[in-house]
Amino acid sequence: MAKILFVNPVVREEDDPRHVPYGIALLAAIAIRDGHLVQVYDENAWRKGAQVLHSVFNADRWDVIAIGGITTAYASIKAIVQQARQECPNATIVLGGGVLTSLPREMMGFLPEVDVGVIGEGFITFPEILSMIDADARDWASIDGTISRTADGGLFISGQRALLQDLDSLPYPAWDLFPLEEVYFPNSQVLFSEEGMLARRRLDINMSYGCSLVCKYCYHLGIAGDMRYETDENQETQVAFDQPKNYTRSIRYHSPEYVVGLVKYAREKYNIDFVVFLDENLMTMDQYSKRTWMSEICRLWVAAGLQPTCIRDGVEHDEHCTGVHWSGTSHATLCNPEILKIMRNAGCSHLVYGYESFARHVMKTIGKGATPQTNMRSFFWTLEAGIRPIPNQIIGFPNEDFAAIYDNMEAWKKLGIVVKPFFATPYPGSEWFTVYRNRILEQYDGDLESYLLDLGDATRITAVISHNFNAVELLGLRELMLNFDYKRIRAYEQYWRKNHGIQPGEPSTLYRDPVQEVAVTRITQQKLATG
Amino acid sequence: MSTLMKGNFTPAHNVEDAPQQADTLEQRFEKEALKKLGGSIAFVSKKKVLWGDEADNKDEPE
Ligand code: B12
Ligand code: SF4
Repeated sequence: MAKILFVNPVVREEDDPRHVPYGIALLAAIAIRDGHLVQVYDENAWRKGAQVLHSVFNADRWDVIAIGGITTAYASIKAIVQQARQECPNATIVLGGGVLTSLPREMMGFLPEVDVGVIGEGFITFPEILSMIDADARDWASIDGTISRTADGGLFISGQRALLQDLDSLPYPAWDLFPLEEVYFPNSQVLFSEEGMLARRRLDINMSYGCSLVCKYCYHLGIAGDMRYETDENQETQVAFDQPKNYTRSIRYHSPEYVVGLVKYAREKYNIDFVVFLDENLMTMDQYSKRTWMSEICRLWVAAGLQPTCIRDGVEHDEHCTGVHWSGTSHATLCNPEILKIMRNAGCSHLVYGYESFARHVMKTIGKGATPQTNMRSFFWTLEAGIRPIPNQIIGFPNEDFAAIYDNMEAWKKLGIVVKPFFATPYPGSEWFTVYRNRILEQYDGDLESYLLDLGDATRITAVISHNFNAVELLGLRELMLNFDYKRIRAYEQYWRKNHGIQPGEPSTLYRDPVQEVAVTRITQQKLATG
Repeated sequence: MSTLMKGNFTPAHNVEDAPQQADTLEQRFEKEALKKLGGSIAFVSKKKVLWGDEADNKDEPE
């Protein structure tokens, strides 16, 4: 049986580690289920650096070193695989997760230490890799869902891996293999609601995969049916994601019984008091299931004795409350007052809404399927249900203009929203990354890797895709918006209009539909892939 | 036995913790201050909300 070392790379370095990596925890559980020997070193949790990694790599003779994460973990992944290759020359290094999936060929180029990459979902591909290692073979090309190296130094993408349909066949995540007591439970707090603030023993759970919307800045890790394999003119396989007018999705969710069973298990084993549901959009699932899924989870939640006592007894939440509070993601158009009340009754404390903007003309272009009106409606419904809506905002959309800035400030004022918006960031795998790839690379002297290394939280500015504002303008405007400084924004608008030759009264925009740019981007990508 | 690495078997060698240089007061301060500077902020100030005036608007998305 293979001896596997999972390493969780550092992500969001500026904050304390708060989230057990759910994908790795599931893959570790699968490997254990299949009889392999597994160790996890969570560098994101410990942040001990190269010296401890040295000791980890030399703690045994590893057959496999498995690492993966989201795109912003790239810098850490790069350092870790370099050290791994030096210290464990005979181990097979496997890379997976969003970081690889969005740019498989480029990533294998940037990281020559990696032997095999897992594109998209790992639930079946990874155990097949382990079986091949057990059989002492290395024929990665015969395993669907991989990218590997050919004898002549090229890259080979095998067939597309089908998504696992029976999600309930997955074992529970191997939480035991992560430093819960040492690191994660002490960092349980989620500062989005009173209940989140008082959380002492939180775990995260992902109950579904997919989202029915097509937000152009969003990436679904290739595990939401969002990924397509295409053959380019050189007969090479390329991995494609959302493109203008070309979207695919697959909606999958665990049964309510699996979800509540897992929470009950976590409650009994770890005495948890809070769950963050990581799902991209709980309301997609609720709608897709014809409004049965969420309410059944809530019914079972209460039946299993997980309902917080503060809600059961109608008293204010405090440290003495028992039961499990929870949070998740909602959607302005897909939620309704009935389900929100049911969710509250089962202990939901806050719901993250990607409202993104309150400007109608901006919302029309982003693929969210929402309007300022549905944003406001859901906001009040959520508050009325007793749940805190977390109203995320983004500025710097391609057609963001002064009118949008004023619309947003008006809405924040009216709704009591205190927010520091994210910047619209074209993460790899998103439609806007594909559409604006050339424009992004121009901002990094054509160097994709330096863009990846620059990516972090979208609260920092990186590549700008706004047609109207540059990075300095966006940073300044955001600051003025936070302070509701209409006077200075108006003054700057006059200056901006003069600079761009736009008369007062005309729309303050230089925006043109970007789809024209796609043709150019596609050619460049093909060149990159073959060159 | 160090618990830095966790798994379902005992590895051949123990993982040694690195002797961590305790952060100086200055380093501690700078780390904490940096945390306060970063990240996103989004919440609703309940006191400021004007209840219900848009709640009945049935405009559908386009
Ligand atoms: C938890 C989470 C985080 C955590 C860290 C996650 C982690 N350690 O992996 C935190 C809170 C730090 C985070 C931050 C951000 N996140 Co986030 N996050 C998530 C979230 C909610 C859940 C991830 C998850 O567990 N998914 C479920 C598991 C099963 O999937 P998975 O981990 O990808 O694993 C599967 C495969 O990818 C693969 N796999 C993964 N790892 C490995 C390893 C190996 C060896 C193998 C073989 C396979 C493999 O196999 C697994 C099973 O199929 C997702 C949304 C979602 N529901 O997926 C967004 C998501 C990943 N985040 C996203 C974004 C945009 C961000 C931010 C940039 C947001 C922001 N505006 O600032 C920041 C980045 C911060 C920073 N400075 O780095 C995007 C995509 C990011 C990307 N381009 O890669 C997502 C998809 C949300 C979205 N729809 O927009 N995030
Ligand atoms: S609703 Fe959320 S998860 Fe769905 S596409 Fe939009 S941003 Fe992504």
